[in-house]
Amino acid sequence: MTTDLPDLFHPIDEATQPQVPIEGYRNTVLRTPRRAPFRRPVTRSELTGPLDLSAKLRPGDDNLALAGPGRVAIGQLIHVSGRVLDEDGRPVTGAIVEIWQANAAGRYFNPIDTREAPLDPNFVGNGRCRTDADGRFGFFTIKPGAYPVPDSGRWWRPPHIHFSVLGPGSLARLVTQMYFPGEPLNALDRLILSIPDTAAQQQLVARQVPPTEVEGEWLGFVHDMVLRGRHATPPLP
Amino acid sequence: MTGAGRGARIGAGREPATPAARLPNAPLVPTGWHTIGPFFPRTFFQVGDNDLARLSAEAAPTARGERIRLIGHVLEEGAQPCVNAVLEAWQADAAGRFRHPHDPEAHLADPDFLGWGRAWTDAEGRYEFRTVMPGGYRDRAGPRAPHVNIAVLASGIMRRLCTTVFFPDFAAANAADPVLCCLPEPLRPLLVARPEPDAEGERVFRFDLLLRGAPQEETPFFLD
Repeated sequence: MTTDLPDLFHPIDEATQPQVPIEGYRNTVLRTPRRAPFRRPVTRSELTGPLDLSAKLRPGDDNLALAGPGRVAIGQLIHVSGRVLDEDGRPVTGAIVEIWQANAAGRYFNPIDTREAPLDPNFVGNGRCRTDADGRFGFFTIKPGAYPVPDSGRWWRPPHIHFSVLGPGSLARLVTQMYFPGEPLNALDRLILSIPDTAAQQQLVARQVPPTEVEGEWLGFVHDMVLRGRHATPPLP
Repeated sequence: MTGAGRGARIGAGREPATPAARLPNAPLVPTGWHTIGPFFPRTFFQVGDNDLARLSAEAAPTARGERIRLIGHVLEEGAQPCVNAVLEAWQADAAGRFRHPHDPEAHLADPDFLGWGRAWTDAEGRYEFRTVMPGGYRDRAGPRAPHVNIAVLASGIMRRLCTTVFFPDFAAANAADPVLCCLPEPLRPLLVARPEPDAEGERVFRFDLLLRGAPQEETPFFLD
């Protein structure tokens, strides 16, 4: 019965998305449905979504490296910027971009993270901004440290920054992680490796800006992200 | 590209990251999803984020429609609570309209209603949304019964899980809903919220999500 439904979504290439379960990550088993998801027709509620969430999810918190006057976080100061694009390469304006990350010692400012790595009193590690007319975002922060995943058989997460992007409409939603170029742990990371397509894996790795092109005492990284866009949202007849 | 201070456009003009073999006019590949992990910041949540009827934390909820609450548990395999899950909800206003260009009646949509909210689960896996009873609408796929779309994010969920909640008030509309009818009949009641005792004069509906379980109990999800 579900097979005759019109396939309105531009099918997403499974090879470019993570496959589960992931070894040493038990929650990928405990929280993955046994039953395959049902295909549904795409009606108005699936095609629409909030156009602008900036009144609800307030932007303006784009400097994670400074907790207050004179309160500088410990770590390598970096600037992470990039553009949010749709599948046609058009900039997504007004998207909310949320990031969160571990401190330079690889520990999160979160009561759930109980490992013994030190906390930095000047680093909370989350921020939120809104993309401009070019789809651009930018954050000042510090480079996060790597950390071992508990009970995973010595799997270390490479330095990474979590991203949550809310574009216009429910389909223009992305939760992902950004990695740093040249990190030896990247090639061993089970989350990166859960994506079969190597080009799609590389899409998660930021590019470092040549230091000669940065006028400031920080390292620059650029990271673009692509949301599902027009191909996922055909106009209604 | 150079920058001269805070907010400078460092590295502007970079080509989008795409597979090298891409054809000139082929669409870009959507960035791969990942889990939110265990450490999604609680500080991201403000009072009122879980209220779909408020445009912002300070705004009053819309006056149109019946105020209701949608509560429940998110459970993983073994019916254990799924702690620190994030739920995102989206629905039509009380008259079944969306403030979005895809709705031909968008100009009539309730200007004081956002229709979106975000909630997280506590140590028992409990969440709560506040909203108004959504309206149904006619769609080319068929008449949609009043419903709320919910996406679930959590550690170990590498791509969001999408489902839809229906209400027991509308049995006839539910029976004709083109999305609910995608499910085999025995599974359909799993997507219908159950009435609970009222709270502060508002009707309360319970919708529990079992992410992984026996076939007759596991929450049905839809392809995203």
